[in-house]
Amino acid sequence: MRHEFRMTVGATREGVAEVNSAFAGFAEAHALPAGVRRSISVALDELLANVRSNAGAGRDPCSVTVEVELDDERVTVTLTDDGTPFDPLKRDAPDTTLSVDERPIGGLGLHLVGQLMDQVSYQRRDGHNVVVLVKQLVDG
Amino acid sequence: MQISTRTLNDVHIVAITGSLDSTTSPDAQKSLDAVLAYAKRLVLDFSELDYISSAGLRILLGAAKKLRASGGTLGMFGLNQSVREVFEISGFSSILSVYRSEAEALGGM
Repeated sequence: MRHEFRMTVGATREGVAEVNSAFAGFAEAHALPAGVRRSISVALDELLANVRSNAGAGRDPCSVTVEVELDDERVTVTLTDDGTPFDPLKRDAPDTTLSVDERPIGGLGLHLVGQLMDQVSYQRRDGHNVVVLVKQLVDG
Repeated sequence: MQISTRTLNDVHIVAITGSLDSTTSPDAQKSLDAVLAYAKRLVLDFSELDYISSAGLRILLGAAKKLRASGGTLGMFGLNQSVREVFEISGFSSILSVYRSEAEALGGM
């Protein structure tokens, strides 16, 4: 079976909250395993928060389209935004061995996405940032 | 996301329900700051915490730094598998005090 949903929201806190709750509803309707649902929720939040802060730094309030496709083997999430070009994969991994006092606040989000998802890819296409996430339903 | 607090002797236990993400963190931050204004010994109850993203981790790190600076202590318990995984990936499991149960967390205060 194959299921999908698609929505477009503004890159705002309200828009991100709408996506979060729509994804939670989709996950429940299709009995997505809790671990998979939570990992995708974290990745979605990181990338959408990133689009938000990117949008804030750029010109107009940008919008982001989220597509989620579920089949028997995997969940594929595609995020397309019209914000400033930004490749989330071109970031140095943070130093996760530092102590509480040494640790800078922030810088972890995109590292989490890379670790929680099975595949992450980025393309700049027709003036849009397109990020595709893949999470396998069964460990390979 | 909902936050509730209770106090056992001088230990303040804060239960966070739902998710700690970029949309809920500003409210969580306000609630935690209010507790940190008077609490020196703080235990976070994550039994009903569904997931946490880096926006939530940022709040925990801020609370840990504040308490450390004022000579207080911070502990947490009740992490589900996903929260535990995020803690491990980010290295937080080695810089924050994570306990297996409320009793253990209270014992560590």
